[in-house]
Amino acid sequence: MKGFNIPATDKSPKVVFDTNNFLFEMQGISRPENVRDFYFPLIYKIKKHFEKILEKNQGDTFNEKCFKFNFKLDYFNSSSAKFISDILVIIKELNDKGLNLKIYWFFADGDEDMKEVGEDFSDMISVPFNFVMIES
Amino acid sequence: MKSYDVVINHKGFMNLAIIDNILHQLRMYLFKKSNEKLLRKRVYSLSVECLDNILKHSDLNEKDHELIKNYPPRFIIERIAGDFIIHTGNIVLNENKDELIPRLDQLNNLELEDINSLYKESLANAEISKKGGAGLGLIVMAKTTRQKIKFDFEKIDNKFFYFAMQLNLKQ
Repeated sequence: MKGFNIPATDKSPKVVFDTNNFLFEMQGISRPENVRDFYFPLIYKIKKHFEKILEKNQGDTFNEKCFKFNFKLDYFNSSSAKFISDILVIIKELNDKGLNLKIYWFFADGDEDMKEVGEDFSDMISVPFNFVMIES
Repeated sequence: MKSYDVVINHKGFMNLAIIDNILHQLRMYLFKKSNEKLLRKRVYSLSVECLDNILKHSDLNEKDHELIKNYPPRFIIERIAGDFIIHTGNIVLNENKDELIPRLDQLNNLELEDINSLYKESLANAEISKKGGAGLGLIVMAKTTRQKIKFDFEKIDNKFFYFAMQLNLKQ
């Protein structure tokens, strides 16, 4: 399945799902006008992609490299937080099924709230995150 | 003498375009007048949650628009010295007042650690309503301000109340 590339707007993040390079990345601000319309389709596509990999027993093809999930968000509202947590739960479930997926949580130097929310998410799904501080 | 600014003063009808305009004004103010990045972000984040709530939870139909003249949606930000005070106001149905009071009382009686636990628990169990709300806004407000949320419900008639809320964000 091909991935997708959603460009950023002033209210929604850039989202890249690059299945060839084993990369999912969200970047920017998330407070879309219709949060359901924004997140439901992309969550569906991510789920479908990995379901197919599991069905075909293709996990080994990327388990050596690992599939990276980069969250490089400057800001997200509480409704977006719910959907981000849904994506993280999917990652956890896929990890539990033997797929090698890693979460990288980026935060700006001094933005302790963004780091803290990453720690909350990590606690919530019981999966360690790789925290990356971006120098400002 | 402490410095005092009225950062935003909006009383009147609210829609997405008006919210975007308010947030733009706020960003301009914060960019010019506030050096603390984390505080800037917290003011912005609280404002988005408050404005989302006003828009999504105002229980008013078009036929009730007469009420808006006397009880307009309100979003005001003041800055006293380095602290920010956010005031919001919107009309809610009587039954929604009865749901909001215990939720606000619960949050005001929790320590920060318990608010953080409640946030994680609520994230896991939240469901997105048709209006796009996750029911997390008030928890985020309590978590971000680390202060009690002040609130009041003024009776309009047998059906409606005016819900006023005040958030204090310390420097």
